[in-house]
Amino acid sequence: MSTAIEKLMSYVDAPDRFDHSAAELRPLQIEALNERFQDRKDNIKLLRHRADEAGVTEITSVEDMVPLLFPHTAYKSYPESFLMQEKWDRLTKWLGTVSPYPIEDVDMEDIADIDDWISRLAAKGHYISCSSGTTGKSAMLIAGQKDMDWSKLDTVQVFAWGSGVEPQANRYMVGCAPVAAVPKNQTIGEAQKTAFSKPEWGRWNYPVPPITVGSLTKMVVMRKKMADGVALPQEIADFEATSAERQQVIDDAITLTADNIIANRDKLLMVSGMWSGLYAVAKAVRDKGYSAKDFNPDNCIYVGGGLKRAQLPDDYNEFVHQTFNINPERDFQNYSMQELNSGMPKCREGNRYHVPPWIVPMILNKDGDALEPYDLNGGEIEGRAAFFDLSLDGRWGGVISGDKISLDYSPCACGNKGPSIRDNIARYADLEGDDKIGCAGTIDAYVRGVA
Amino acid sequence: MNAHSETAVGEPIVSAPFFLRGELIEGTDVIQKSRDLGVTFATPNIPFDKAVPPRSEVPPLLNVPTAEIIDFLVETGQRLVAPDNEYVHECFDRMASTHILPRSVFENVGKHAVAYLDKRILQAELEQNFPDPKALDGWIPKQDFNGRKSFVRAYAPRLIHVLPGNSPGVAVKSIAQGALVKAFNLFKMSSADPFYTVAILRTMAEIDPEHPIVKSMSAVYWRGGDAAVESVLYRPQYFDKIVAWGGGDAINNVVKYIGPGFQLVSFDPKTSISMLGREALESEESMDIAANAAASDLMMLNQEACAASRFQFVEGPQDKVDRFCEKFQRCIADRAEASGDVRPLSSDLKEEVEALMMMDDEYGTWGRADGKGLVIRSEEPVDFHPINKIGNVVRVDSLDDAVKWVNVATQTIGFYPSARMADYRDRLGAGGAQRVCPLGEAGASTVGNPWDGMYPLHRFVHWMVNENGIDGG
Repeated sequence: MSTAIEKLMSYVDAPDRFDHSAAELRPLQIEALNERFQDRKDNIKLLRHRADEAGVTEITSVEDMVPLLFPHTAYKSYPESFLMQEKWDRLTKWLGTVSPYPIEDVDMEDIADIDDWISRLAAKGHYISCSSGTTGKSAMLIAGQKDMDWSKLDTVQVFAWGSGVEPQANRYMVGCAPVAAVPKNQTIGEAQKTAFSKPEWGRWNYPVPPITVGSLTKMVVMRKKMADGVALPQEIADFEATSAERQQVIDDAITLTADNIIANRDKLLMVSGMWSGLYAVAKAVRDKGYSAKDFNPDNCIYVGGGLKRAQLPDDYNEFVHQTFNINPERDFQNYSMQELNSGMPKCREGNRYHVPPWIVPMILNKDGDALEPYDLNGGEIEGRAAFFDLSLDGRWGGVISGDKISLDYSPCACGNKGPSIRDNIARYADLEGDDKIGCAGTIDAYVRGVA
Repeated sequence: MNAHSETAVGEPIVSAPFFLRGELIEGTDVIQKSRDLGVTFATPNIPFDKAVPPRSEVPPLLNVPTAEIIDFLVETGQRLVAPDNEYVHECFDRMASTHILPRSVFENVGKHAVAYLDKRILQAELEQNFPDPKALDGWIPKQDFNGRKSFVRAYAPRLIHVLPGNSPGVAVKSIAQGALVKAFNLFKMSSADPFYTVAILRTMAEIDPEHPIVKSMSAVYWRGGDAAVESVLYRPQYFDKIVAWGGGDAINNVVKYIGPGFQLVSFDPKTSISMLGREALESEESMDIAANAAASDLMMLNQEACAASRFQFVEGPQDKVDRFCEKFQRCIADRAEASGDVRPLSSDLKEEVEALMMMDDEYGTWGRADGKGLVIRSEEPVDFHPINKIGNVVRVDSLDDAVKWVNVATQTIGFYPSARMADYRDRLGAGGAQRVCPLGEAGASTVGNPWDGMYPLHRFVHWMVNENGIDGG
């Protein structure tokens, strides 16, 4: 007997998976949400707490799910002192409050650092990814083997659908961005390599040291030490020197990557990265005198993430495409976030991101505590994006994001009848501005140099 | 700054007029949004040339005696609390839609702040801030050991005041201080309260529209950080000093414009704390007294004030500290209920608090994450900034262990019992603290005392010298 969740997830490789209207899918989705809730309510401590507070015992509508969604900040709610003081057992215990599976038998002896702690967890099938924020706490997202297996499948399907590129293992892949060395990214990278890269050509990995959770955490720890006034001047000098060296390596990586692309310009390419990195490499390629005319018109591009507050010229998109000779037909963009396990690819005809059947989209008010009025039969709704990703197994699938989006339940210009998201996604944090002033405040205002 | 969108036709929108040297300017040229509640309000465009008097003009208050200024301020105070002051009524009506605090709270604060407009207080401010307050009224003769003579004047400055959004009381104080130093003042109001400053200035104009005080004051609003305004106004050719409250982006924006001739006088963002010795836990009675006093400090402006306590370091064993926490939470909750303040916690804060509740063998919690009063007991200060009626009781074996948590952002430290202040104040000063006081008295301060590590009026003025040679004078 197949469950509602299984039925929805079985759409993963169906060519028409985005062609099911929300009205058609919703009864099955509600059933699936309840299946997942009943299965997890006693296993995820934070969910139990939420359900008790809200008095929810059963999911009979999307509305019931709203108080049970976890904000994107839930995964960074661990006390920072656990990190600072390397209290791995405490941090493990915190992780247990958001994990559906017990975290047991993890070897806690002589853990060297946070990367070591993460590898000990991985040895027991608990995979930790972190958000890529450079200041403030990193979110720690726990996932399991099933999630990795799903990502492997989903990432290739999403790219093939969104770019029209068949996985034929016939390209030279060029990474134009440092990638955080977390299990999810590694899994995705491997899956794409298998699907798209020609084995004898290999893949160009962006030449910078891997970004580990530990390296991200160093920044957080330093900031905290500065705030607490315990960072000594020499320590700050050393930290800044290391940062400067690292910056040099990052700057060099751009040129090295541009040279590598130019040397391989006769091959069929798949370039990947985030806009900021892709733009920097494209600019270096142009500066060396190469552009579209030198590249294969069947090249493709994989763009991950948004602008991440990068300051780029207005025409960054065209500039990158025209450098690597990316046909507009091959323009690929994907909407997702670390907190989810699946992607939402953009169609080329309607220029909208498509939500798959196993993701239940919810548009909330700005505060994230109630649904905006909606009509499943059609109409665009704007507000805070929230999703329930039924493909997530190793943590709760209900997430409230920091994004402001416009979701439409009407059919898209591309012909698909499923819900889709307009290409005007913004972050609330960027929209709020900084018109804040008051005499009450924190030591954060006194810390400089780790932003 | 004209790029803001218009709201739908017919939607009622609160208007925030500007005041320019006696002239009220109303308009709906720009639709603004309040910072905390996202409420829209309308303002006119800033008439720049009216907001900045030319340097060729001698400040109108320069030769008005401080005694007369004080009298005028006192009269203003009386009019502000008069029951028939329409400007103030109307202003509180409007503020109710933009301010984060309940009406009763800010109305009280606004009225309470008017007490500052008292003859003895204002005189004491001058006497404490200046070795010789007569330097404000005239040129003070000086002579050094060489026989060289000169005159010194605390010359009227040109000030931009960037007012904070959290306390309406600051408007009263800033206007009074700007008048006492005879400055030409431009007040940049906050989006939480783009009304009260104008209401005070209108009250002044009603007393005497031609008075030099009125001719020395302007109040406008723009969205903090708006380069189209700040790049125009923040220039030494127009102003000598910018008096700004706050930190983070608010100050970073201002700092960009600081340079020769354009100085920053900053009232920094502050965190206040409490230190409770083991004496507080000696008996049920002492616990009650201490819990009540600690709650009083915590609930200043419902914990929106800089002097409001956020962390309470309590010396003693966990069982007794927990007993204190229980009482403390009740005192906070009672005050919260009485104030009618029912703001929920922000979702980020709620998330952090709930994570601690999950870790119940490490943290103790009393109350819920609902904005109605909560106490968290921990062995170290929590990561987040306790706000919206949250106390973080940090248990320590000795108050000596609490000293390391004092830093350059620490403003007020309330002590119980007060006899222990003397043992700690030197070390607290080294850490960066600004004031210590008996627990429960964080709000009160001796008239004319320094603030934020300085005598502000002394910093405001532009000290000018008239040398007169060996034989002159």
